[in-house]
Amino acid sequence: MKASSIQQLKKQENFMGYLFAFPWLFGLIVLGAFPILASFFISFTNYDMNQAPRWIGIKNYVILFSNDSIFWKSLGNTVYHVAIAIPLGLMVGLALALLLNNKIKGMSIYRTLFYLPNVVSIVAMSLLWLWLFQPSFGVINELLSPFYKLFDMEPLRWHQAASTAKLTLILMGLWTAGGSMVIYLAQMQDIPISLYESAEVDGANWFKKTLYITLPLMTPSIFFNFIMGIIGGFQVFTIAYIMTGGGPSRSTYYYAYYLFDKMMSDRAMGMASAMAWILLVIVLIITIIALRLNKYVVYLGEES
Amino acid sequence: MKKLLLNRKQSNRIKAIVLHIVLIVSSFGFVFPFLWMLFTALKTPQELLQGTSVFFPKDPQWSNFIQAVRSIPFLLYLKNSLIIVILVMIGTLFSATTAAYAFAKLRWKGRDKWFIVMLATMMIPIQVILIPTYIMYSLIGWLGTRLPLIVPAFFGGGAAFYIFLLRQFYKGIPKELSESAIIDGATHIQIFVKIMLPLTKPAIITVALFTFMATWNDYFGPLIFLSNPDHWTLAIGLRAFQTQFGGRFDLMMAASILIMLPTLIIFFLAQKSFIEGITFTGIKG
Amino acid sequence: MKKFLVLFTLFVFGLVLMGCNGGEAEGKIEIEFWHMSPVGSESYSGMRAIITQFNESQEDYFVKGKGFSFWDYWDKINVAVSSKTAPDIGLSTIDDVVSRARAGVLFNISELIESDDSGYLQIELDEFRQSQLDFATFEGDLFAMPFTATTRALFYNMDMFLELGLTEEDVPETWSELKTVAKMFDIVDDGTIERLGFDPSYGDATYHGWLWQKGLDFFDEELNPTLNTQGHIDVLNWIIDFNDDLSRSQLTSFGEANQLLGLNPFAAEKVAMIIGNDGLYQTIINAGADFSYGVAPIPIPDEDGIRVNWGSGFSIEMYDNKKNDNDRLNGAFMFYKYLLSKEVQIELSEVNGWILSHISAMEEFVEGKPIMQLLLEEVNYAVDKVYVPYAPSWHGNDWQPYYTQALDRSLTPEAALLQARNHYLEKQQNYNTVN
Repeated sequence: MKASSIQQLKKQENFMGYLFAFPWLFGLIVLGAFPILASFFISFTNYDMNQAPRWIGIKNYVILFSNDSIFWKSLGNTVYHVAIAIPLGLMVGLALALLLNNKIKGMSIYRTLFYLPNVVSIVAMSLLWLWLFQPSFGVINELLSPFYKLFDMEPLRWHQAASTAKLTLILMGLWTAGGSMVIYLAQMQDIPISLYESAEVDGANWFKKTLYITLPLMTPSIFFNFIMGIIGGFQVFTIAYIMTGGGPSRSTYYYAYYLFDKMMSDRAMGMASAMAWILLVIVLIITIIALRLNKYVVYLGEES
Repeated sequence: MKKLLLNRKQSNRIKAIVLHIVLIVSSFGFVFPFLWMLFTALKTPQELLQGTSVFFPKDPQWSNFIQAVRSIPFLLYLKNSLIIVILVMIGTLFSATTAAYAFAKLRWKGRDKWFIVMLATMMIPIQVILIPTYIMYSLIGWLGTRLPLIVPAFFGGGAAFYIFLLRQFYKGIPKELSESAIIDGATHIQIFVKIMLPLTKPAIITVALFTFMATWNDYFGPLIFLSNPDHWTLAIGLRAFQTQFGGRFDLMMAASILIMLPTLIIFFLAQKSFIEGITFTGIKG
Repeated sequence: MKKFLVLFTLFVFGLVLMGCNGGEAEGKIEIEFWHMSPVGSESYSGMRAIITQFNESQEDYFVKGKGFSFWDYWDKINVAVSSKTAPDIGLSTIDDVVSRARAGVLFNISELIESDDSGYLQIELDEFRQSQLDFATFEGDLFAMPFTATTRALFYNMDMFLELGLTEEDVPETWSELKTVAKMFDIVDDGTIERLGFDPSYGDATYHGWLWQKGLDFFDEELNPTLNTQGHIDVLNWIIDFNDDLSRSQLTSFGEANQLLGLNPFAAEKVAMIIGNDGLYQTIINAGADFSYGVAPIPIPDEDGIRVNWGSGFSIEMYDNKKNDNDRLNGAFMFYKYLLSKEVQIELSEVNGWILSHISAMEEFVEGKPIMQLLLEEVNYAVDKVYVPYAPSWHGNDWQPYYTQALDRSLTPEAALLQARNHYLEKQQNYNTVN
């Protein structure tokens, strides 16, 4: 079909654009926008999937905020998790990337080994670490027994003690730091070697080079990993579901877990939707703040 | 001057050695859990009670793997995982490549705004979408089927990252190629199929691999949507294994290894594509 | 690469073909039945045989059974029921039949019985205990049938008793006797517990089970939460302090070692006495244990003790997925009657080791099985728990966090009970706000 004028060409391209984007666009509306709006309305109802939804106004939200200690507990657990896991994960990923960003033999082997844990299913990973962290018979406590004897302390109970369970899960999460490491490495490779060379001429050592060249130029990927980390972190659920059942004493009962129970056990769809929307608002606020800070934190490399 | 150079060389060598040591130790730390998993799978429960005093299994219990396969409908779950994974791969590739092409190579009204919207979708917690779609599937009777896990893939479900990646790739293809094709009378569809797709093979392979991994390992989706046990995937099977054999870590490790094997094998075969695929994203903010 | 793809596709295709098991149910109407004997469990082949026996006698219907492990089963059935993907027939708990009946997800069994003119079997209502039938009744009609008549009792290792020169006479009958006798059996070797006499938190014992023996409960008659009397605290203290001569870490290691071996502590002869339900009988057989043991009523409090145990019976229900498929309904009802018939009830007991609800079936089943006879006797003292609409899982997810904290002493019993009570109050208030 030959286009005979620029107008027709443009029109055709416009149509083609929508045609190609249609599958995704359709999904966006039907499986994205519509559900988001729908869940907003459902959050104002009492709906258990057996009878029709019943309008109850803001009661779900009122209950959550004023008369639900588990709401706050689960939210606290999740905030704790995000506050510690994200910075820690960023640092470990960065450290690994910095280690690997040297021209040495076998770099790709190390890279593969560090990335390997990310290939594993989260269920398998949870079961594995459930065993590694087993207080009485697991490898980790066995390896640490000299320390325990030295400081004359009881072996840590890891995921089986309310005081250490969240930290245990966070530690386990660090095993998958290879995921962010790879993204950092990708960005590091974009940094012009000339920058390093001229720094070396000025007598800079590794530490200075890293601090003044590498890190600033890495801020886009750091920022990216940070945002994705926050969004994912707020949805933490499966590791607790498999490993601790939310315990001990609800110490790993995360927000998404409570939501899951509301949805699948209590069948309180209205309440669950309210919880989902509260989560959305929290994540949006954090993302917007982060995007505003973007200007001050991310160095885009064009002004050197 | 000579003295300085020597010191430099020496210090570099020392640095290299230290680096290697650190890398070996830390990579061993990362890999050790896998090894321990294998050893555990081959031990007897009594040996497990003795911890590291029994490092290697005395008499490898390969039968644990057989018991793992026999204790749950393993082949059924495998079949389900394969069906879902393959269909999701096809669907994702379809909807992601087409959308990415539209964003990268075509000019249409609102394109850049829609692109920002697409990026924004990566920030929506899944729970907000989950409940209404669950209710919707329930009302149209899809909950007893595998469809809730398969159909969204054909409409770009969860493909925002891949669309982004593919778009970068498409942008890298010189527009002269498509322009000359248009002059020759080719339609956009022909350009897409005959020029774009072949040239972006590396990215397509990367997307396929990532989709395979993500879908094979997915637990949350099947947990919510697969209420019919005939459709359960291996991920759910592993969890069912846990509820049946709770304390028997030897069996659980065996089952976990079996389920991990496909992803590990594919990963080793296609490492390059995998890791370098992320490189091509060129995350520049 | 291409070769690999071709081989891979063929492999997948082969698997898919392998997985398709058409042919078995050709032309017959398929009925789905969910139970608790998954592939790989001890009772799997037995359940399969019972189902196959029915299928072979049938021209028109074909029952497909699906087994889930006990812990999984409850999540799955509840989700399936409320998303209208439930099986035609399934098991559930008898104490909350009313909630499902009210929600309209169950078929009216009374109506089905009345309109049944198939001549195939009949449900003999007088073979079921009225107390169980009452639980299954909603607005005058039956919406489920009792399936199991679970009971709990004290299991004791006779060999261990004899070893210490004790006889059947010495089996404890009160709480203080229980403690005295239990302590005789403890063996601690180099700081590790090798054997424990008894622990009130082990096996199938529950806090509310112990409370009921003192005439206490979690809720009052209006379903308001209690847990706020000295009596509640005393019972909790008794449970926690039972083995207070041993440290928490010792006890936990002991429990974990048993779990690691995947054995029931009593069947593995790690404990001398344990509270078990009737299913423990089969568990002991399955574990291949060959020690002699006995069963006795659960010891009661020294003062004002009531002989009562928690009978957490299962119901058997037919789920209405609103599909309006009468043929399927008829077929399902036939299988339903089959499962409730005397012969099949006996077979089900043989396979699962449970005490089922059919009275004369059980009388026949327990002949020649002294242990089972004693357990059947205890069924007369079994009581089921109350259904609380605002806290359906009051003894499970709602209570466990506080209970475990009390048990490992991270909370005092008073604090644990206070927090638990506040939790229930919260749930009650919120329930009333939105309903």
